[in-house]
Amino acid sequence: MIYNFRYLAPETREELHAMLADRGAGAALLSGGTDLLVNIRNGVARPECVINVKKVKGFAGVSWSAQEGLIIRAGCTINDLLREPRIREAYPLLAACAHDLASYQIRNRATVVGNVANASPCSDMAAALLCLKARAVLSSSRGEREVPFPEFFKGVKKTVIRPDELLERIIIPAGSAGAPGDYRKLKRINGHDLAIVGVALLKQDGEIRMGISSAAPTPVYVGGLKTSEPAETVVAAALAAVSPISDVRCTREYREHMIQVYVRRLLDEVKG
Amino acid sequence: MKIKLTINGDPYEKDVAENSTLLRFLREDLGLTGTKEGCGAGECGACTVLLDGRTVNACMVLAVETDGSAVETIEGEAKDGRLSAIQQAFDRHHSVQCGYCSPGMVLSVRELIQRNPKPSVAEIKQGLEGNFCRCTGYTQIIEAVLDVTGQVESKGEVTHA
Repeated sequence: MIYNFRYLAPETREELHAMLADRGAGAALLSGGTDLLVNIRNGVARPECVINVKKVKGFAGVSWSAQEGLIIRAGCTINDLLREPRIREAYPLLAACAHDLASYQIRNRATVVGNVANASPCSDMAAALLCLKARAVLSSSRGEREVPFPEFFKGVKKTVIRPDELLERIIIPAGSAGAPGDYRKLKRINGHDLAIVGVALLKQDGEIRMGISSAAPTPVYVGGLKTSEPAETVVAAALAAVSPISDVRCTREYREHMIQVYVRRLLDEVKG
Repeated sequence: MKIKLTINGDPYEKDVAENSTLLRFLREDLGLTGTKEGCGAGECGACTVLLDGRTVNACMVLAVETDGSAVETIEGEAKDGRLSAIQQAFDRHHSVQCGYCSPGMVLSVRELIQRNPKPSVAEIKQGLEGNFCRCTGYTQIIEAVLDVTGQVESKGEVTHA
Protein backbone atom coordinates (compact mmCIF):
# COMPACT_ATOMS: atom_id res chain seq x y z
CA MET A 1 0.00 0.00 0.00
CA ILE A 2 1.25 3.44 -0.92
CA TYR A 3 1.32 6.02 1.92
CA ASN A 4 -0.83 9.15 1.69
CA PHE A 5 0.48 12.08 -0.27
CA ARG A 6 -1.13 15.20 -1.62
CA TYR A 7 -1.91 15.19 -5.37
CA LEU A 8 -1.91 18.43 -7.35
CA ALA A 9 -2.76 18.82 -11.03
CA PRO A 10 -2.00 22.39 -12.15
CA GLU A 11 -3.38 23.53 -15.50
CA THR A 12 -1.04 26.45 -16.21
CA ARG A 13 2.72 26.79 -15.94
CA GLU A 14 2.27 29.78 -13.60
CA GLU A 15 0.28 27.62 -11.18
CA LEU A 16 2.92 24.90 -11.45
CA HIS A 17 5.76 27.36 -10.77
CA ALA A 18 3.92 28.76 -7.74
CA MET A 19 3.40 25.24 -6.35
CA LEU A 20 7.09 24.43 -6.81
CA ALA A 21 8.18 27.72 -5.21
CA ASP A 22 5.86 26.98 -2.30
CA ARG A 23 6.75 23.34 -1.72
CA GLY A 24 10.21 22.92 -3.25
CA ALA A 25 12.03 19.82 -2.06
CA GLY A 26 8.90 18.26 -0.53
CA ALA A 27 7.27 17.95 -3.95
CA ALA A 28 7.88 15.38 -6.65
CA LEU A 29 6.94 16.02 -10.26
CA LEU A 30 4.87 13.30 -11.90
CA SER A 31 5.04 12.96 -15.66
CA GLY A 32 5.03 9.35 -16.90
CA GLY A 33 5.24 8.05 -13.34
CA THR A 34 7.12 4.95 -14.50
CA ASP A 35 10.01 5.75 -12.15
CA LEU A 36 8.31 7.88 -9.48
CA LEU A 37 5.41 5.54 -8.67
CA VAL A 38 7.71 2.51 -8.45
CA ASN A 39 10.08 4.46 -6.18
CA ILE A 40 7.19 5.54 -3.95
CA ARG A 41 5.90 1.99 -3.77
CA ASN A 42 9.36 0.70 -2.87
CA GLY A 43 9.88 3.38 -0.24
CA VAL A 44 12.80 4.93 -2.14
CA ALA A 45 10.91 8.22 -2.64
CA ARG A 46 8.58 9.75 -0.07
CA PRO A 47 7.39 13.14 -1.33
CA GLU A 48 4.69 14.88 0.71
CA CYS A 49 3.10 16.08 -2.49
CA VAL A 50 2.96 14.81 -6.08
CA ILE A 51 2.49 17.40 -8.83
CA ASN A 52 1.19 16.07 -12.15
CA VAL A 53 2.76 18.06 -15.01
CA LYS A 54 0.78 16.29 -17.76
CA LYS A 55 -2.33 18.47 -17.38
CA VAL A 56 -0.43 21.75 -17.82
CA LYS A 57 -1.50 23.61 -20.99
CA GLY A 58 1.22 23.73 -23.62
CA PHE A 59 3.28 20.90 -22.11
CA ALA A 60 2.21 18.18 -24.56
CA GLY A 61 4.13 16.66 -27.39
CA VAL A 62 6.95 17.69 -29.64
CA SER A 63 7.34 20.31 -32.35
CA TRP A 64 9.89 21.30 -34.95
CA SER A 65 10.98 24.59 -36.43
CA ALA A 66 13.77 25.19 -38.93
CA GLN A 67 15.24 27.91 -36.69
CA GLU A 68 15.12 26.35 -33.23
CA GLY A 69 15.15 22.66 -34.11
CA LEU A 70 13.25 19.98 -32.23
CA ILE A 71 11.43 20.99 -29.04
CA ILE A 72 10.46 18.15 -26.71
CA ARG A 73 8.07 19.29 -23.98
CA ALA A 74 7.65 17.92 -20.45
CA GLY A 75 4.57 15.86 -21.33
CA CYS A 76 6.02 14.26 -24.48
CA THR A 77 6.07 10.48 -24.09
CA ILE A 78 8.68 8.27 -25.72
CA ASN A 79 6.02 6.97 -28.13
CA ASP A 80 4.82 10.54 -28.91
CA LEU A 81 8.37 11.16 -30.08
CA LEU A 82 8.54 7.92 -32.10
CA ARG A 83 5.18 8.61 -33.76
CA GLU A 84 6.50 11.90 -35.17
CA PRO A 85 7.55 10.80 -38.70
CA ARG A 86 10.20 13.52 -39.07
CA ILE A 87 12.18 12.16 -36.14
CA ARG A 88 13.23 8.90 -37.74
CA GLU A 89 14.54 10.80 -40.78
CA ALA A 90 16.12 13.81 -39.10
CA TYR A 91 17.26 12.35 -35.79
CA PRO A 92 17.86 8.61 -36.31
CA LEU A 93 19.97 8.33 -33.15
CA LEU A 94 17.18 9.84 -31.04
CA ALA A 95 14.72 7.33 -32.53
CA ALA A 96 17.12 4.42 -31.90
CA CYS A 97 17.55 5.31 -28.20
CA ALA A 98 13.82 5.93 -27.77
CA HIS A 99 12.96 2.62 -29.41
CA ASP A 100 15.30 0.73 -27.08
CA LEU A 101 13.80 2.19 -23.90
CA ALA A 102 11.85 -0.33 -21.78
CA SER A 103 8.66 -1.90 -23.18
CA TYR A 104 5.90 -0.62 -25.46
CA GLN A 105 3.49 0.05 -22.55
CA ILE A 106 6.16 1.98 -20.68
CA ARG A 107 7.01 4.00 -23.79
CA ASN A 108 3.32 4.95 -24.00
CA ARG A 109 3.62 6.54 -20.56
CA ALA A 110 7.27 7.41 -19.84
CA THR A 111 8.46 10.84 -20.98
CA VAL A 112 11.74 11.97 -22.54
CA VAL A 113 12.05 14.73 -19.94
CA GLY A 114 11.40 12.27 -17.08
CA ASN A 115 14.00 9.85 -18.40
CA VAL A 116 16.73 12.51 -18.19
CA ALA A 117 15.45 14.46 -15.14
CA ASN A 118 15.52 11.18 -13.21
CA ALA A 119 19.30 11.23 -13.87
CA SER A 120 19.81 7.50 -13.83
CA PRO A 121 23.27 6.53 -15.14
CA CYS A 122 21.49 4.14 -17.53
CA SER A 123 19.23 6.77 -19.16
CA ASP A 124 18.82 5.77 -22.81
CA MET A 125 17.63 9.22 -23.91
CA ALA A 126 20.59 10.96 -22.29
CA ALA A 127 22.99 9.03 -24.51
CA ALA A 128 21.29 10.50 -27.62
CA LEU A 129 20.80 14.01 -26.24
CA LEU A 130 24.50 14.31 -25.34
CA CYS A 131 25.52 13.47 -28.93
CA LEU A 132 22.88 15.81 -30.41
CA LYS A 133 24.11 18.91 -28.50
CA ALA A 134 20.71 19.23 -26.84
CA ARG A 135 19.96 21.89 -24.24
CA ALA A 136 17.75 21.59 -21.14
CA VAL A 137 15.39 24.52 -20.55
CA LEU A 138 14.75 24.87 -16.81
CA SER A 139 11.94 27.14 -15.68
CA SER A 140 10.63 28.53 -12.40
CA SER A 141 8.74 31.59 -11.19
CA ARG A 142 12.12 33.36 -11.38
CA GLY A 143 12.37 32.79 -15.14
CA GLU A 144 14.12 30.38 -17.51
CA ARG A 145 17.69 29.20 -17.97
CA GLU A 146 19.33 26.87 -20.47
CA VAL A 147 21.85 24.20 -19.63
CA PRO A 148 23.74 22.15 -22.25
CA PHE A 149 23.41 18.43 -21.52
CA PRO A 150 27.02 17.66 -20.64
CA GLU A 151 26.57 20.07 -17.68
CA PHE A 152 23.10 18.84 -16.71
CA PHE A 153 24.00 15.66 -14.79
CA LYS A 154 25.76 16.00 -11.43
CA GLY A 155 25.76 12.45 -10.07
CA VAL A 156 23.60 9.37 -9.61
CA LYS A 157 20.03 10.78 -9.59
CA LYS A 158 21.43 14.31 -9.27
CA THR A 159 21.06 17.17 -11.75
CA VAL A 160 21.43 20.96 -11.81
CA ILE A 161 17.63 21.34 -11.38
CA ARG A 162 16.90 23.48 -8.30
CA PRO A 163 14.00 22.64 -5.94
CA ASP A 164 11.76 25.37 -7.39
CA GLU A 165 12.57 24.51 -11.03
CA LEU A 166 11.40 21.97 -13.55
CA LEU A 167 12.86 20.69 -16.80
CA GLU A 168 10.18 22.20 -19.03
CA ARG A 169 11.54 21.32 -22.45
CA ILE A 170 14.53 20.00 -24.33
CA ILE A 171 15.81 21.72 -27.46
CA ILE A 172 17.75 19.76 -30.04
CA PRO A 173 19.35 22.27 -32.41
CA ALA A 174 18.33 22.18 -36.07
CA GLY A 175 22.05 21.90 -36.85
CA SER A 176 22.08 18.34 -35.45
CA ALA A 177 19.36 17.19 -37.88
CA GLY A 178 20.30 14.65 -40.51
CA ALA A 179 23.40 13.37 -38.72
CA PRO A 180 23.68 9.57 -38.94
CA GLY A 181 23.95 7.75 -35.64
CA ASP A 182 22.91 4.61 -33.79
CA TYR A 183 22.68 3.07 -30.32
CA ARG A 184 23.90 -0.29 -29.05
CA LYS A 185 22.57 -1.46 -25.71
CA LEU A 186 23.71 -4.53 -23.84
CA LYS A 187 20.87 -6.21 -21.97
CA ARG A 188 19.87 -9.65 -20.74
CA ILE A 189 16.83 -9.95 -23.00
CA ASN A 190 15.70 -8.30 -26.23
CA GLY A 191 13.25 -5.59 -25.34
CA HIS A 192 12.48 -4.36 -21.87
CA ASP A 193 15.66 -4.20 -19.87
CA LEU A 194 17.93 -1.58 -18.38
CA ALA A 195 21.24 -1.05 -20.14
CA ILE A 196 24.11 -3.10 -18.72
CA VAL A 197 26.02 -0.71 -20.91
CA GLY A 198 24.86 1.50 -23.80
CA VAL A 199 26.81 3.35 -26.48
CA ALA A 200 25.35 6.03 -28.76
CA LEU A 201 27.55 7.24 -31.60
CA LEU A 202 26.92 10.03 -34.08
CA LYS A 203 28.95 11.36 -37.00
CA GLN A 204 28.57 14.93 -38.24
CA ASP A 205 30.79 17.19 -40.34
CA GLY A 206 33.84 15.00 -39.81
CA GLU A 207 33.29 14.81 -36.03
CA ILE A 208 32.46 11.77 -33.90
CA ARG A 209 30.39 12.26 -30.75
CA MET A 210 29.48 9.53 -28.25
CA GLY A 211 27.06 9.22 -25.33
CA ILE A 212 27.69 6.27 -23.01
CA SER A 213 25.18 4.99 -20.43
CA SER A 214 25.62 2.72 -17.39
CA ALA A 215 29.37 3.26 -17.32
CA ALA A 216 29.83 6.05 -14.73
CA PRO A 217 27.76 7.88 -12.06
CA THR A 218 26.24 9.94 -14.88
CA PRO A 219 25.71 9.40 -18.61
CA VAL A 220 29.07 10.22 -20.23
CA TYR A 221 29.76 12.52 -23.18
CA VAL A 222 32.79 12.12 -25.45
CA GLY A 223 33.11 14.63 -28.30
CA GLY A 224 35.57 16.38 -30.56
CA LEU A 225 37.00 13.26 -32.21
CA LYS A 226 37.64 13.29 -35.95
CA THR A 227 36.12 10.67 -38.26
CA SER A 228 39.62 10.30 -39.75
CA GLU A 229 41.01 8.99 -36.43
CA PRO A 230 41.82 5.27 -36.22
CA ALA A 231 39.33 3.14 -34.26
CA GLU A 232 41.94 2.61 -31.49
CA THR A 233 41.98 6.35 -30.74
CA VAL A 234 38.17 6.55 -30.52
CA VAL A 235 38.00 3.44 -28.30
CA ALA A 236 40.75 4.83 -26.04
CA ALA A 237 38.87 8.15 -25.70
CA ALA A 238 35.67 6.31 -24.74
CA LEU A 239 37.42 4.14 -22.16
CA ALA A 240 39.28 7.13 -20.69
CA ALA A 241 35.98 8.96 -20.14
CA VAL A 242 34.09 6.18 -18.33
CA SER A 243 34.50 4.75 -14.82
CA PRO A 244 32.31 1.64 -14.70
CA ILE A 245 31.74 -0.36 -11.54
CA SER A 246 31.13 -4.05 -10.91
CA ASP A 247 27.58 -4.62 -9.70
CA VAL A 248 24.73 -7.10 -9.66
CA ARG A 249 24.39 -6.91 -13.45
CA CYS A 250 28.02 -7.44 -14.53
CA THR A 251 31.67 -6.69 -13.81
CA ARG A 252 33.65 -3.55 -14.58
CA GLU A 253 35.87 -5.52 -16.98
CA TYR A 254 32.89 -6.81 -18.97
CA ARG A 255 31.47 -3.30 -19.25
CA GLU A 256 34.80 -1.95 -20.52
CA HIS A 257 35.10 -4.78 -22.99
CA MET A 258 31.60 -4.26 -24.37
CA ILE A 259 32.09 -0.48 -24.69
CA GLN A 260 35.08 -1.29 -26.86
CA VAL A 261 33.11 -3.79 -28.95
CA TYR A 262 30.18 -1.40 -29.46
CA VAL A 263 32.36 1.61 -30.32
CA ARG A 264 34.16 -0.45 -33.00
CA ARG A 265 30.88 -1.78 -34.43
CA LEU A 266 29.27 1.65 -34.51
CA LEU A 267 32.32 3.20 -36.17
CA ASP A 268 31.85 0.66 -38.96
CA GLU A 269 28.07 0.74 -39.16
CA VAL A 270 27.31 4.47 -38.85
CA LYS A 271 27.98 5.97 -42.26
CA GLY A 272 28.99 9.60 -42.41
CA MET B 1 -10.78 13.16 -4.91
CA LYS B 2 -13.76 12.77 -7.24
CA ILE B 3 -13.00 11.51 -10.75
CA LYS B 4 -15.15 11.05 -13.85
CA LEU B 5 -14.16 8.52 -16.47
CA THR B 6 -15.55 5.81 -18.70
CA ILE B 7 -14.61 2.17 -18.29
CA ASN B 8 -15.45 -0.10 -21.21
CA GLY B 9 -17.79 2.63 -22.40
CA ASP B 10 -19.75 2.93 -19.14
CA PRO B 11 -19.56 6.26 -17.31
CA TYR B 12 -18.28 6.25 -13.72
CA GLU B 13 -18.13 9.04 -11.17
CA LYS B 14 -16.24 7.93 -8.08
CA ASP B 15 -14.37 9.17 -5.08
CA VAL B 16 -10.91 7.70 -5.12
CA ALA B 17 -7.94 7.92 -2.75
CA GLU B 18 -5.13 10.09 -4.16
CA ASN B 19 -2.58 7.36 -3.46
CA SER B 20 -4.55 4.62 -5.23
CA THR B 21 -3.22 3.19 -8.48
CA LEU B 22 -5.53 2.61 -11.42
CA LEU B 23 -4.98 -1.12 -10.82
CA ARG B 24 -6.14 -0.97 -7.21
CA PHE B 25 -9.09 1.24 -8.18
CA LEU B 26 -10.26 -1.23 -10.86
CA ARG B 27 -9.81 -4.34 -8.75
CA GLU B 28 -10.72 -3.24 -5.25
CA ASP B 29 -13.05 -0.28 -5.64
CA LEU B 30 -14.93 -1.50 -8.73
CA GLY B 31 -14.47 -5.27 -8.45
CA LEU B 32 -13.10 -5.50 -12.00
CA THR B 33 -10.64 -8.25 -11.14
CA GLY B 34 -9.93 -9.31 -14.72
CA THR B 35 -6.92 -6.96 -14.65
CA LYS B 36 -4.16 -8.78 -12.77
CA GLU B 37 -1.38 -7.60 -10.53
CA GLY B 38 1.94 -9.29 -11.28
CA CYS B 39 5.06 -7.41 -10.29
CA GLY B 40 3.51 -4.04 -9.43
CA ALA B 41 6.52 -2.31 -10.97
CA GLY B 42 5.92 -2.17 -14.72
CA GLU B 43 7.98 -5.23 -15.56
CA CYS B 44 5.46 -7.94 -16.37
CA GLY B 45 2.47 -6.35 -18.15
CA ALA B 46 -0.16 -8.47 -16.33
CA CYS B 47 -2.02 -5.24 -15.45
CA THR B 48 -2.08 -3.88 -19.03
CA VAL B 49 -5.21 -1.84 -19.81
CA LEU B 50 -5.98 0.71 -22.50
CA LEU B 51 -5.95 4.35 -21.38
CA ASP B 52 -7.40 6.60 -24.10
CA GLY B 53 -6.67 3.85 -26.62
CA ARG B 54 -3.04 3.19 -25.60
CA THR B 55 -1.72 0.30 -23.52
CA VAL B 56 -0.38 1.24 -20.10
CA ASN B 57 0.60 -0.65 -16.96
CA ALA B 58 -2.27 0.08 -14.56
CA CYS B 59 0.10 -0.41 -11.60
CA MET B 60 2.05 2.67 -12.69
CA VAL B 61 -0.84 5.07 -13.20
CA LEU B 62 -2.57 6.88 -10.34
CA ALA B 63 -6.35 6.51 -10.48
CA VAL B 64 -6.70 10.30 -10.08
CA GLU B 65 -4.69 10.80 -13.29
CA THR B 66 -7.41 9.05 -15.29
CA ASP B 67 -9.99 11.77 -14.56
CA GLY B 68 -11.68 12.55 -17.89
CA SER B 69 -10.20 9.49 -19.64
CA ALA B 70 -11.52 6.36 -21.31
CA VAL B 71 -10.23 3.11 -19.79
CA GLU B 72 -10.71 -0.30 -21.39
CA THR B 73 -10.15 -3.56 -19.56
CA ILE B 74 -10.51 -7.25 -20.37
CA GLU B 75 -14.09 -7.12 -19.05
CA GLY B 76 -15.00 -5.12 -22.18
CA GLU B 77 -13.48 -7.58 -24.63
CA ALA B 78 -16.32 -10.11 -24.99
CA LYS B 79 -19.59 -8.62 -26.24
CA ASP B 80 -23.02 -10.05 -25.41
CA GLY B 81 -21.55 -13.25 -24.08
CA ARG B 82 -19.45 -13.84 -27.22
CA LEU B 83 -15.66 -13.91 -27.06
CA SER B 84 -13.90 -11.34 -29.26
CA ALA B 85 -11.98 -12.47 -32.33
CA ILE B 86 -8.70 -12.19 -30.38
CA GLN B 87 -10.07 -14.26 -27.50
CA GLN B 88 -11.37 -16.91 -29.92
CA ALA B 89 -7.94 -17.12 -31.57
CA PHE B 90 -6.29 -17.50 -28.13
CA ASP B 91 -8.77 -20.32 -27.46
CA ARG B 92 -8.08 -22.08 -30.80
CA HIS B 93 -4.30 -21.96 -30.40
CA HIS B 94 -4.17 -22.90 -26.69
CA SER B 95 -2.56 -19.53 -25.95
CA VAL B 96 -3.84 -19.67 -22.38
CA GLN B 97 -2.33 -22.00 -19.80
CA CYS B 98 -2.48 -20.59 -16.26
CA GLY B 99 -4.24 -17.54 -17.70
CA TYR B 100 -2.66 -14.91 -15.48
CA CYS B 101 -0.99 -13.00 -18.33
CA SER B 102 -3.91 -13.42 -20.74
CA PRO B 103 -5.97 -10.28 -19.92
CA GLY B 104 -2.93 -8.01 -20.40
CA MET B 105 -1.77 -10.02 -23.39
CA VAL B 106 -5.16 -9.71 -25.14
CA LEU B 107 -5.24 -5.92 -24.66
CA SER B 108 -1.68 -5.56 -25.96
CA VAL B 109 -2.66 -7.64 -29.01
CA ARG B 110 -5.69 -5.40 -29.52
CA GLU B 111 -3.61 -2.23 -29.59
CA LEU B 112 -0.93 -3.87 -31.74
CA ILE B 113 -3.48 -4.89 -34.38
CA GLN B 114 -5.09 -1.47 -34.33
CA ARG B 115 -1.84 0.24 -35.28
CA ASN B 116 -0.47 -2.60 -37.40
CA PRO B 117 -3.20 -4.83 -38.94
CA LYS B 118 -0.71 -7.35 -40.43
CA PRO B 119 2.23 -7.57 -38.03
CA SER B 120 5.15 -9.86 -38.89
CA VAL B 121 6.38 -12.37 -36.31
CA ALA B 122 9.16 -9.93 -35.37
CA GLU B 123 6.65 -7.10 -34.99
CA ILE B 124 4.38 -9.30 -32.86
CA LYS B 125 7.31 -10.13 -30.58
CA GLN B 126 8.17 -6.43 -30.33
CA GLY B 127 4.56 -5.45 -29.71
CA LEU B 128 4.26 -7.96 -26.86
CA GLU B 129 7.69 -7.32 -25.33
CA GLY B 130 6.09 -5.76 -22.26
CA ASN B 131 3.91 -8.79 -21.48
CA PHE B 132 5.53 -11.75 -19.76
CA CYS B 133 4.11 -15.25 -20.07
CA ARG B 134 5.78 -17.95 -17.98
CA CYS B 135 3.73 -20.88 -19.33
CA THR B 136 3.39 -20.96 -23.09
CA GLY B 137 6.83 -20.01 -24.33
CA TYR B 138 4.91 -17.42 -26.40
CA THR B 139 4.65 -19.62 -29.50
CA GLN B 140 0.92 -20.25 -29.16
CA ILE B 141 0.27 -16.57 -28.48
CA ILE B 142 2.17 -15.52 -31.61
CA GLU B 143 0.21 -18.11 -33.61
CA ALA B 144 -3.05 -16.70 -32.31
CA VAL B 145 -2.03 -13.19 -33.44
CA LEU B 146 -1.07 -14.51 -36.89
CA ASP B 147 -4.44 -16.27 -37.09
CA VAL B 148 -6.55 -13.31 -36.01
CA THR B 149 -4.74 -11.11 -38.55
CA GLY B 150 -5.41 -13.60 -41.36
CA GLN B 151 -1.82 -14.77 -41.66
CA VAL B 152 -2.03 -18.47 -40.78
CA GLU B 153 0.26 -19.13 -43.75
CA SER B 154 3.08 -17.45 -41.77
CA LYS B 155 2.75 -20.02 -39.00
CA GLY B 156 5.80 -21.85 -40.31
CA GLU B 157 7.95 -18.92 -39.14
CA VAL B 158 7.23 -19.75 -35.52
CA THR B 159 9.47 -22.45 -34.12
CA HIS B 160 8.12 -24.74 -31.45
CA ALA B 161 10.44 -25.30 -28.53
